[in-house]
Amino acid sequence: MDIQTLTLALGDSTHAGRRFDVMPITGDEPVLQVTVSGAEETPVYLTVTDTQILCLAYLFDEQELNPERLNELHENMLRLSVPMPLSSLGKTGDHYVVYGALSPTSGAAEIMQELVTLAENAIDLLQTFEDYLA
Amino acid sequence: MRSILNKLLTAMRGGVNELGEAVVDGQGNRILEQELRDSEQELKQAKQELAALMAESASLARQIRSEQDNASKREQDARKAIAAGQEDLAREVAERIVGHERRAVELTQTRELLQQRIAGLKERVQRAEKQLADYRRELQVVKTNERVLRTTAQIDTNINSQKSSLNTAKETLERIRERQAREEDRQTASATLEKELTGADLDEKLKAAGIDGEQDAIDNVLARLKGSPAQ
Repeated sequence: MDIQTLTLALGDSTHAGRRFDVMPITGDEPVLQVTVSGAEETPVYLTVTDTQILCLAYLFDEQELNPERLNELHENMLRLSVPMPLSSLGKTGDHYVVYGALSPTSGAAEIMQELVTLAENAIDLLQTFEDYLA
Repeated sequence: MRSILNKLLTAMRGGVNELGEAVVDGQGNRILEQELRDSEQELKQAKQELAALMAESASLARQIRSEQDNASKREQDARKAIAAGQEDLAREVAERIVGHERRAVELTQTRELLQQRIAGLKERVQRAEKQLADYRRELQVVKTNERVLRTTAQIDTNINSQKSSLNTAKETLERIRERQAREEDRQTASATLEKELTGADLDEKLKAAGIDGEQDAIDNVLARLKGSPAQ
């Protein structure tokens, strides 16, 4: 599944009653910003590499967090990362992210499932961890 | 693998990787790729060598069997010669038997040495395969890391240039709450509309006022029936 095919597939499809608004992010890497209907606040970014399709949504930046409760937050993030369906929690640069990686051979249905799940999980996680914001 | 992971973590903690700058620099990447190619080459050579040695060993096994077969055939000949009283002939055959047996022993020794080399080489192939898998995994980690950094840098640049999409978590949460409230309102509104369309809301109000259309209808029918008693 390459970015072009995926862009076309997502633009025309619905999955579990959701529509997808796809916007390419300009730059050297092939990156898509996908907005899932009903979860528009947390767009999912998607990039395809040789070894995986990586989908990620931003939660918060380090400087937005209450530094005194950082350890507690990390502990909770690690614990929640395991049971969260199709998503893991991580950090890249200053960004805390929720992400999922799929095999490059995944079909459109699997990718859409991942996108919907990630966008919804991002909202749930934001609301769950709201108390840790500074 | 551990050294690569440690390198990545050190670089990340130090914030070296801002704006997608490669954590393990291009040079490090090229070294890894070179190591990968060397390992692949070594594996290929070792496998070729192994195949050649195994073929040689199989050929030796065939020769050994042949020498042993010949020896046992000659043994029968020798017995027949002895039985016929041909002592000289029997001696000549016995010399041949000795020759076959000696060659069989020599070949067996050669083959044993060969088998040892094969075992060693198999071990080398396994080691190279494991090493290759390790290098591939390391390279994948390094490359994925670089990709993620470049990708997130690209996303950030874009979001920043659009301005409108750059939200703090608090703003995002506010928007989520607004949408959730809107959805709730919509649900309430559509439930109200549903009642209006079916007249359920009016029925509720009439009932509340003690006016029950259903009860009235029954009373009317009863009154009508009473007004025209059965013949």
